[in-house]
Amino acid sequence: MNSLAIPSSTLNPVPLAIPSAATRAQLLAAPDALHPALWRARAGMLAGTVAAVLPSGFAPLDAELPGGGWPLRVLTELLLPRPGVGEVRLLAPALVRVLRNGRSLMLFEPPAQVSAEALAQLGLAPAQCIVVRGRDGVRSPALRQRLGSADLCWALEQALRSGQVGAVLAWLGPAARSDVLRRLQLAAQAHEGPAFLLREVQVRQHPSPAPLRLVLGCSGPDELSVQIIKRRGPAQAQPLRLALAPVLSARALARAHAGQSEPGQGSQAVRPGRAAVSDVVSPSRAWLPSMMDEPLAR
Amino acid sequence: MLWLGLHLPALSLESFLTTLSPEVAAQPVALLERQRVVALNPAAQALGVRPGMKRATAMALAPLMLQGAADAQRDAQALRAVAHAMLAFTPMVVPVPPQGVLAEVQASLRCFGGPAALWRRVQQALAPLGHQMQMAHAPGPLGAELLACWRPDPGVPRHQTRAALAPPGAAPGEGGPGDPAWAELQQRLASLPAECLLQGDAHAQAALQAMGLATLADLRRQPRAGLTRRFGQPLLQALDRAHGLVADPREPISPPLQFAERVDLHARTESADALLAGAAVLLARMAAWARARHARVQRFELTMHHETRLRASSLGEAGVHTSALAVALAEPTADATHWHSVLRERLQREPLAASVLSLTLRCDEPVLGPPPDAELFPSAAGAREGLLRLLERLQARLGPEGVQRLATCADHRPERATALQPVWGRSVALGSLGRAGRAAAPHQTAPDATSRLTRPVWLLASPQPLHERQASPWLDGHPLQLLGGPERIETGWWEGDPVARDYFIAQAHGGELVWLYRLRPAPATGQPGWFLHGRFA
Repeated sequence: MNSLAIPSSTLNPVPLAIPSAATRAQLLAAPDALHPALWRARAGMLAGTVAAVLPSGFAPLDAELPGGGWPLRVLTELLLPRPGVGEVRLLAPALVRVLRNGRSLMLFEPPAQVSAEALAQLGLAPAQCIVVRGRDGVRSPALRQRLGSADLCWALEQALRSGQVGAVLAWLGPAARSDVLRRLQLAAQAHEGPAFLLREVQVRQHPSPAPLRLVLGCSGPDELSVQIIKRRGPAQAQPLRLALAPVLSARALARAHAGQSEPGQGSQAVRPGRAAVSDVVSPSRAWLPSMMDEPLAR
Repeated sequence: MLWLGLHLPALSLESFLTTLSPEVAAQPVALLERQRVVALNPAAQALGVRPGMKRATAMALAPLMLQGAADAQRDAQALRAVAHAMLAFTPMVVPVPPQGVLAEVQASLRCFGGPAALWRRVQQALAPLGHQMQMAHAPGPLGAELLACWRPDPGVPRHQTRAALAPPGAAPGEGGPGDPAWAELQQRLASLPAECLLQGDAHAQAALQAMGLATLADLRRQPRAGLTRRFGQPLLQALDRAHGLVADPREPISPPLQFAERVDLHARTESADALLAGAAVLLARMAAWARARHARVQRFELTMHHETRLRASSLGEAGVHTSALAVALAEPTADATHWHSVLRERLQREPLAASVLSLTLRCDEPVLGPPPDAELFPSAAGAREGLLRLLERLQARLGPEGVQRLATCADHRPERATALQPVWGRSVALGSLGRAGRAAAPHQTAPDATSRLTRPVWLLASPQPLHERQASPWLDGHPLQLLGGPERIETGWWEGDPVARDYFIAQAHGGELVWLYRLRPAPATGQPGWFLHGRFA
């Protein structure tokens, strides 16, 4: 367990003077004082000073991330069972910080159409968000098949290498082969911001050059479970549960919890909730003020 | 007056080789004119081919030698590009066909930090054009021309010649015999061969040789009346002009208002990379032209001339045998490497209609005026420009639809509330990329804790019909638990696309929240009434 891990980034030349025994012990105890890219894996210790981080906006998550936030200049992998578990709301506080500096956010091949309204509600200015699609750019279908994913990887690499983009979110899908990931990880060293790769959870067992990998899952309404499966530090004891920016009102949340707290998951658990809501959906009482959180009808 | 003479000894060979790949250029190559070798590269020389040889002799020595035809027009174009590049340093630039360019740089010395710095900058500026060159300086144009051709400066001028380059007081050309520059010029000119003043007159050259007049110094020692009688007035005038004894007015070149140049590719070209090699020459020339015009380029057009034989078959339209590629940039620039990178992506993206024989590059509307000030420290403007460069490169390959910016639209229909816009328009859209951080501040503050999200980030491109069982919608074999809503959206009737929906927030089986709607009024039984429209990510 007591081993020095040297990440891929280059190290400064080590001073030639041989340190005394006391200094050596001191250095071995805290190797990151020597260089920020050095860290010592020890039970219960996270890597202390990752070169630069971006606070995630969630205090429990920051406590678990090495350096106390999303790392910059490297890839970060988020593994999702399916799109729409709350990944954007997890990243939004950090992305807001990036966009506030006047930098831009690039989305590579997002899994669905992006709603500008929703981004604006999360505090992300739509004008600073750029959507890149590899397959739509090429008109002829034959070319699209061949070039689509290669184009996307190329575009992502260019964006990372240029260092001009504030933050990057990429859904590469099956194009994310290991050689592609290694290239991207190298390119990310020039990228002064977080770079998130969103991948499906099935690739959890596959090796990846990204120094930080998280598995996201849904643990309830407006709640996200985050399990860190790879980081510079010890394995995470148990998944975090983070409260996301709310979609549901307090009343709706209570209704959801009432639906879930019922013993025996499945169709029975849904029944109370559905019974309550069936009042709502019945056409005669659809406008019932008691069920409506706020007047939304347009 | 201080004249800088440039002599390009291998201009015609290099202007032929520029469109070839380096591997081909390393093979033996010779240019022929009227069945005789006029220029050749070292590889051909190593095989024993010499200038002036007959074609048959050269072919016997080097059977695999690549032969090209000498083309005076092609050489003149290359020489003009060199002259344009020199216009960056002084307005007084004179091309001297076939292989020389003269520039008067006395007034530029101080601006560019002295002769040594100027020499280096000239070399840097001409490097993209890819010519070997010899440089020399003299107080008069003809002297500079002759010295550059016959006795070039070995390198950057040393300090002992600096006194000659920038003498205190009077300009060196007008100085008397006591002037150090004057003395140095006399000394260097004295050793030049005498026949250099009589180029193209073999009879007179033979006469000089027979009289034992080998150098200009010999020539100057002869009585002037006798020289005039034997060789005519021009020789004596040239001698005086070379030595700076009489005035030698020259007409400076002025760059054309629009750029249009053509190169012939040596072979039929079908790959984007080979085309790009040819286009790179044109781009380097356009860069020289733009610098001379103090202009930047926003749009340019590359015309590819196809093989005539294929025009009817593969292009479909008879008579059309060119195809044009118009490149428009977001911001004008004079940076040839940026043009090159954008053009590369465009060429790789668009399939060629047929193989290409020659290329024409045009720029009709240069953006005149000085370029914006460069930034010393990284700043917002610099970052914005870097981002634009990146987006241009991405768009060149992915197409305009491949890179788009999000924008909100004032429409209640969720599928129409988001617009994808081109990354830049000709309007104010450009500014918002860089400024959005501040521009967005007044109406878009960070979300406070109490506000809820009412729209999902992911919208399905087409709403997915849901099964309905027991008066409740089902997704993936599980019932959805409705938690919030309804939010009624009823609009769009004036556009012929009316929408009447009740939107609900529901929890799917896995716990994630989805957005679904029910049609109003409820459709007939058997028709789907519930649709999944988005996912709260």
